Amino acid sequence: MTIAHTIESIGFLSDFSESVLAYPIVLSTHLTCIALFGGMILMTNLRLLGLTFGSVTNTQMVTSLRPWKRVGGTIMISTGLLLAASEAGKYAPNPFFWTKMIILGLIGVHGFIFRPLVYNRTEELDRAAVIPTRVKVAAILSLVLWTAMFVMGRLIAYWE
Amino acid sequence: MILQNALVDALNDTEWAFPLAECVHIGGFAIGVGSIALVDFRMLNLGLRHESTARILRYTELWTIFALVFVLFSGAMLFLSQTGVYLVNQVFPIKMYILLAALVYNFTIHRKVATMENPPPMLSKAAATVSLLLWVLVVFGGIFTGFLE
Repeated sequence: MTIAHTIESIGFLSDFSESVLAYPIVLSTHLTCIALFGGMILMTNLRLLGLTFGSVTNTQMVTSLRPWKRVGGTIMISTGLLLAASEAGKYAPNPFFWTKMIILGLIGVHGFIFRPLVYNRTEELDRAAVIPTRVKVAAILSLVLWTAMFVMGRLIAYWE
Repeated sequence: MILQNALVDALNDTEWAFPLAECVHIGGFAIGVGSIALVDFRMLNLGLRHESTARILRYTELWTIFALVFVLFSGAMLFLSQTGVYLVNQVFPIKMYILLAALVYNFTIHRKVATMENPPPMLSKAAATVSLLLWVLVVFGGIFTGFLE
Protein backbone atom coordinates (compact mmCIF):
# COMPACT_ATOMS: atom_id res chain seq x y z
CA MET A 1 0.00 0.00 0.00
CA THR A 2 1.41 3.38 -0.97
CA ILE A 3 1.70 6.38 1.34
CA ALA A 4 -1.19 8.05 -0.50
CA HIS A 5 -3.48 5.11 0.15
CA THR A 6 -2.41 4.98 3.76
CA ILE A 7 -3.32 8.66 4.17
CA GLU A 8 -6.74 8.39 2.58
CA SER A 9 -7.61 5.29 4.56
CA ILE A 10 -7.16 7.09 7.88
CA GLY A 11 -10.54 6.67 9.63
CA PHE A 12 -11.97 10.16 9.59
CA LEU A 13 -10.60 10.95 6.12
CA SER A 14 -12.28 7.97 4.47
CA ASP A 15 -15.53 8.75 6.32
CA PHE A 16 -15.17 12.30 5.06
CA SER A 17 -14.68 11.51 1.38
CA GLU A 18 -17.60 9.08 1.45
CA SER A 19 -19.96 11.50 3.17
CA VAL A 20 -22.73 12.84 0.93
CA LEU A 21 -22.72 16.24 2.64
CA ALA A 22 -19.31 16.81 4.28
CA TYR A 23 -17.23 16.69 1.10
CA PRO A 24 -19.32 19.18 -0.95
CA ILE A 25 -19.65 21.48 2.09
CA VAL A 26 -15.87 21.65 2.51
CA LEU A 27 -15.39 22.09 -1.24
CA SER A 28 -17.97 24.91 -1.28
CA THR A 29 -16.16 26.58 1.63
CA HIS A 30 -12.87 26.29 -0.27
CA LEU A 31 -14.50 27.97 -3.30
CA THR A 32 -16.27 30.66 -1.26
CA CYS A 33 -12.85 31.61 0.11
CA ILE A 34 -11.51 31.90 -3.43
CA ALA A 35 -14.22 34.46 -4.11
CA LEU A 36 -13.94 36.42 -0.87
CA PHE A 37 -10.18 36.52 -0.54
CA GLY A 38 -9.30 36.24 -4.22
CA GLY A 39 -11.30 39.45 -4.65
CA MET A 40 -9.20 41.13 -1.97
CA ILE A 41 -5.93 39.99 -3.54
CA LEU A 42 -7.10 41.17 -6.97
CA MET A 43 -8.20 44.60 -5.74
CA THR A 44 -5.03 45.10 -3.66
CA ASN A 45 -2.86 44.39 -6.70
CA LEU A 46 -4.98 46.62 -8.94
CA ARG A 47 -4.58 49.39 -6.35
CA LEU A 48 -0.78 48.89 -6.36
CA LEU A 49 -0.89 49.22 -10.16
CA GLY A 50 -2.86 52.45 -9.77
CA LEU A 51 -5.83 51.08 -11.72
CA THR A 52 -8.59 51.57 -9.15
CA PHE A 53 -9.32 52.66 -5.55
CA GLY A 54 -7.58 56.00 -6.22
CA SER A 55 -8.68 57.69 -2.99
CA VAL A 56 -7.71 54.73 -0.80
CA THR A 57 -3.98 54.75 -0.05
CA ASN A 58 -1.84 51.66 -0.65
CA THR A 59 -1.21 51.55 3.09
CA GLN A 60 -4.93 51.48 3.92
CA MET A 61 -5.59 48.92 1.23
CA VAL A 62 -2.80 46.56 2.34
CA THR A 63 -3.13 46.92 6.11
CA SER A 64 -6.91 46.85 6.43
CA LEU A 65 -7.31 43.72 4.30
CA ARG A 66 -4.25 41.85 5.59
CA PRO A 67 -5.90 40.21 8.63
CA TRP A 68 -8.79 38.98 6.45
CA LYS A 69 -6.43 37.57 3.86
CA ARG A 70 -4.74 35.64 6.66
CA VAL A 71 -8.04 34.26 7.89
CA GLY A 72 -8.97 33.36 4.30
CA GLY A 73 -5.60 31.75 3.61
CA THR A 74 -5.88 29.62 6.73
CA ILE A 75 -9.38 28.38 5.83
CA MET A 76 -8.32 27.82 2.22
CA ILE A 77 -5.24 25.74 3.14
CA SER A 78 -7.00 23.68 5.81
CA THR A 79 -10.02 22.87 3.63
CA GLY A 80 -7.67 22.17 0.70
CA LEU A 81 -5.56 19.81 2.81
CA LEU A 82 -8.68 17.97 3.92
CA LEU A 83 -9.94 17.60 0.32
CA ALA A 84 -6.56 16.40 -0.98
CA ALA A 85 -5.80 14.05 1.92
CA SER A 86 -9.21 12.37 1.74
CA GLU A 87 -8.53 11.40 -1.87
CA ALA A 88 -4.75 11.14 -1.64
CA GLY A 89 -4.69 8.12 -3.96
CA LYS A 90 -6.24 10.19 -6.76
CA TYR A 91 -4.16 13.30 -6.09
CA ALA A 92 -0.72 11.67 -5.75
CA PRO A 93 -0.31 10.80 -9.47
CA ASN A 94 -2.13 13.95 -10.68
CA PRO A 95 0.33 16.33 -12.42
CA PHE A 96 -2.07 19.31 -12.08
CA PHE A 97 -2.13 18.83 -8.31
CA TRP A 98 1.67 18.94 -8.09
CA THR A 99 1.82 21.92 -10.46
CA LYS A 100 -0.63 23.64 -8.14
CA MET A 101 1.57 22.83 -5.14
CA ILE A 102 4.63 24.21 -6.94
CA ILE A 103 2.71 27.41 -7.68
CA LEU A 104 1.70 27.58 -4.02
CA GLY A 105 5.41 27.36 -3.18
CA LEU A 106 6.17 30.11 -5.70
CA ILE A 107 3.52 32.30 -4.06
CA GLY A 108 5.43 31.78 -0.80
CA VAL A 109 8.66 32.83 -2.53
CA HIS A 110 6.86 35.87 -3.98
CA GLY A 111 5.80 36.90 -0.48
CA PHE A 112 9.29 36.32 0.89
CA ILE A 113 10.85 38.55 -1.78
CA PHE A 114 8.23 41.27 -2.20
CA ARG A 115 6.88 41.70 1.32
CA PRO A 116 9.98 43.63 2.49
CA LEU A 117 10.31 45.36 -0.90
CA VAL A 118 6.69 46.36 -1.54
CA TYR A 119 3.92 45.25 0.81
CA ASN A 120 5.66 46.40 4.02
CA ARG A 121 6.76 49.71 2.48
CA THR A 122 3.44 51.09 1.31
CA GLU A 123 3.86 54.44 3.10
CA GLU A 124 6.86 55.13 0.92
CA LEU A 125 4.81 54.13 -2.14
CA ASP A 126 2.00 56.48 -1.17
CA ARG A 127 4.48 59.38 -1.28
CA ALA A 128 6.11 58.32 -4.56
CA ALA A 129 5.19 60.35 -7.65
CA VAL A 130 5.38 57.40 -10.03
CA ILE A 131 4.76 53.70 -9.37
CA PRO A 132 8.19 52.03 -9.00
CA THR A 133 8.92 49.11 -11.35
CA ARG A 134 9.33 46.64 -8.45
CA VAL A 135 5.75 47.37 -7.39
CA LYS A 136 4.39 46.70 -10.87
CA VAL A 137 6.42 43.48 -11.07
CA ALA A 138 5.15 42.35 -7.66
CA ALA A 139 1.50 43.07 -8.47
CA ILE A 140 1.56 41.49 -11.95
CA LEU A 141 3.42 38.39 -10.71
CA SER A 142 0.96 38.02 -7.87
CA LEU A 143 -2.00 38.19 -10.30
CA VAL A 144 -0.36 35.68 -12.67
CA LEU A 145 0.52 33.24 -9.86
CA TRP A 146 -2.94 33.34 -8.27
CA THR A 147 -4.64 32.90 -11.65
CA ALA A 148 -2.43 29.90 -12.43
CA MET A 149 -3.13 28.49 -8.96
CA PHE A 150 -6.86 28.70 -9.54
CA VAL A 151 -6.74 27.23 -13.08
CA MET A 152 -4.63 24.28 -11.85
CA GLY A 153 -7.13 23.69 -9.05
CA ARG A 154 -9.91 23.34 -11.61
CA LEU A 155 -7.86 21.12 -13.93
CA ILE A 156 -7.14 18.63 -11.13
CA ALA A 157 -10.66 17.34 -11.67
CA TYR A 158 -10.02 16.63 -15.35
CA TRP A 159 -6.95 14.43 -15.15
CA GLU A 160 -7.52 10.71 -15.37
CA MET B 1 -31.76 25.72 -31.70
CA ILE B 2 -29.02 25.85 -34.33
CA LEU B 3 -26.94 28.12 -32.12
CA GLN B 4 -27.57 25.84 -29.18
CA ASN B 5 -26.48 22.77 -31.13
CA ALA B 6 -23.36 24.53 -32.34
CA LEU B 7 -22.46 25.47 -28.78
CA VAL B 8 -23.20 22.01 -27.46
CA ASP B 9 -21.08 20.39 -30.15
CA ALA B 10 -18.21 22.77 -29.46
CA LEU B 11 -18.34 22.11 -25.72
CA ASN B 12 -18.72 18.36 -26.01
CA ASP B 13 -16.33 17.72 -28.87
CA THR B 14 -13.47 19.90 -27.79
CA GLU B 15 -11.53 18.42 -24.94
CA TRP B 16 -10.60 21.74 -23.33
CA ALA B 17 -13.81 23.71 -24.01
CA PHE B 18 -15.78 22.52 -20.98
CA PRO B 19 -12.93 23.03 -18.47
CA LEU B 20 -12.25 26.43 -20.05
CA ALA B 21 -15.90 27.45 -19.65
CA GLU B 22 -15.74 26.24 -16.05
CA CYS B 23 -12.57 28.25 -15.40
CA VAL B 24 -14.22 31.39 -16.80
CA HIS B 25 -17.31 30.63 -14.70
CA ILE B 26 -15.42 30.19 -11.43
CA GLY B 27 -12.87 32.93 -12.12
CA GLY B 28 -15.72 35.27 -13.00
CA PHE B 29 -17.65 34.60 -9.83
CA ALA B 30 -14.47 34.94 -7.78
CA ILE B 31 -14.02 38.48 -9.17
CA GLY B 32 -17.73 39.32 -9.16
CA VAL B 33 -18.54 38.03 -5.69
CA GLY B 34 -15.14 39.13 -4.35
CA SER B 35 -15.74 42.71 -5.47
CA ILE B 36 -19.23 42.73 -3.93
CA ALA B 37 -17.76 41.26 -0.72
CA LEU B 38 -15.37 44.22 -0.43
CA VAL B 39 -18.38 46.57 -0.37
CA ASP B 40 -20.02 44.28 2.22
CA PHE B 41 -16.89 44.22 4.38
CA ARG B 42 -16.90 48.02 4.33
CA MET B 43 -20.60 48.11 5.30
CA LEU B 44 -19.86 45.72 8.16
CA ASN B 45 -16.99 48.00 9.25
CA LEU B 46 -14.53 45.14 8.81
CA GLY B 47 -12.14 46.84 6.39
CA LEU B 48 -11.34 49.89 4.24
CA ARG B 49 -12.84 52.10 6.94
CA HIS B 50 -11.00 55.19 5.67
CA GLU B 51 -13.27 55.41 2.66
CA SER B 52 -17.05 55.67 2.30
CA THR B 53 -19.09 52.67 1.18
CA ALA B 54 -20.36 54.65 -1.81
CA ARG B 55 -16.79 55.20 -3.03
CA ILE B 56 -15.84 51.53 -2.56
CA LEU B 57 -18.93 50.62 -4.54
CA ARG B 58 -17.92 53.01 -7.31
CA TYR B 59 -14.41 51.52 -7.50
CA THR B 60 -15.63 47.94 -7.63
CA GLU B 61 -18.93 48.19 -9.52
CA LEU B 62 -17.56 47.95 -13.06
CA TRP B 63 -15.51 44.89 -12.09
CA THR B 64 -18.61 43.32 -10.58
CA ILE B 65 -20.77 43.88 -13.63
CA PHE B 66 -18.07 42.86 -16.10
CA ALA B 67 -17.31 39.67 -14.13
CA LEU B 68 -20.99 38.77 -13.69
CA VAL B 69 -21.55 39.05 -17.45
CA PHE B 70 -18.77 36.46 -17.96
CA VAL B 71 -20.25 34.23 -15.22
CA LEU B 72 -23.74 34.31 -16.72
CA PHE B 73 -22.47 33.72 -20.25
CA SER B 74 -20.18 30.81 -19.31
CA GLY B 75 -22.90 29.43 -17.02
CA ALA B 76 -25.37 29.44 -19.91
CA MET B 77 -22.84 27.56 -22.05
CA LEU B 78 -22.31 24.93 -19.34
CA PHE B 79 -26.07 24.57 -18.96
CA LEU B 80 -26.68 24.23 -22.70
CA SER B 81 -23.98 21.60 -23.05
CA GLN B 82 -25.77 19.28 -20.63
CA THR B 83 -29.36 20.51 -20.55
CA GLY B 84 -30.70 17.08 -19.69
CA VAL B 85 -28.49 16.72 -16.63
CA TYR B 86 -29.41 20.14 -15.23
CA LEU B 87 -33.13 19.92 -15.93
CA VAL B 88 -33.58 16.82 -13.78
CA ASN B 89 -31.21 18.03 -11.05
CA GLN B 90 -33.01 18.88 -7.80
CA VAL B 91 -30.50 21.44 -6.57
CA PHE B 92 -30.05 23.36 -9.83
CA PRO B 93 -33.45 25.19 -9.83
CA ILE B 94 -32.90 26.22 -6.18
CA LYS B 95 -29.53 27.66 -7.17
CA MET B 96 -31.18 29.60 -10.02
CA TYR B 97 -33.82 31.10 -7.71
CA ILE B 98 -31.16 32.16 -5.20
CA LEU B 99 -29.02 33.56 -8.02
CA LEU B 100 -31.97 35.58 -9.31
CA ALA B 101 -32.65 36.85 -5.78
CA ALA B 102 -28.95 37.73 -5.30
CA LEU B 103 -28.78 39.62 -8.60
CA VAL B 104 -32.00 41.57 -8.04
CA TYR B 105 -31.03 42.31 -4.43
CA ASN B 106 -27.54 43.45 -5.40
CA PHE B 107 -28.67 46.05 -7.89
CA THR B 108 -31.67 47.32 -5.90
CA ILE B 109 -31.70 47.27 -2.08
CA HIS B 110 -27.96 46.60 -1.65
CA ARG B 111 -27.00 49.37 -4.06
CA LYS B 112 -29.47 51.78 -2.48
CA VAL B 113 -28.13 51.23 1.04
CA ALA B 114 -24.50 51.32 -0.14
CA THR B 115 -24.99 54.72 -1.78
CA MET B 116 -26.97 56.27 1.11
CA GLU B 117 -25.21 59.21 2.65
CA ASN B 118 -25.66 58.34 6.32
CA PRO B 119 -27.41 55.00 6.57
CA PRO B 120 -28.28 53.73 10.06
CA PRO B 121 -25.39 51.36 10.97
CA MET B 122 -27.79 48.51 11.63
CA LEU B 123 -29.34 48.88 8.17
CA SER B 124 -25.91 48.83 6.53
CA LYS B 125 -24.86 45.75 8.44
CA ALA B 126 -28.10 43.93 7.74
CA ALA B 127 -27.90 44.76 4.01
CA ALA B 128 -24.30 43.51 3.84
CA THR B 129 -25.05 40.31 5.77
CA VAL B 130 -27.96 39.42 3.47
CA SER B 131 -25.75 40.08 0.44
CA LEU B 132 -22.90 37.84 1.68
CA LEU B 133 -25.37 35.14 2.64
CA LEU B 134 -27.08 35.14 -0.77
CA TRP B 135 -23.81 34.93 -2.71
CA VAL B 136 -22.35 32.22 -0.49
CA LEU B 137 -25.56 30.23 -1.01
CA VAL B 138 -25.18 30.60 -4.78
CA VAL B 139 -21.64 29.14 -4.56
CA PHE B 140 -22.84 26.27 -2.37
CA GLY B 141 -25.73 25.72 -4.80
CA GLY B 142 -23.28 25.44 -7.67
CA ILE B 143 -21.14 22.81 -5.95
CA PHE B 144 -24.14 20.86 -4.67
CA THR B 145 -25.61 20.82 -8.19
CA GLY B 146 -22.57 18.75 -9.13
CA PHE B 147 -22.76 16.43 -6.12
CA LEU B 148 -26.44 15.72 -5.57
CA GLU B 149 -28.77 14.64 -8.29
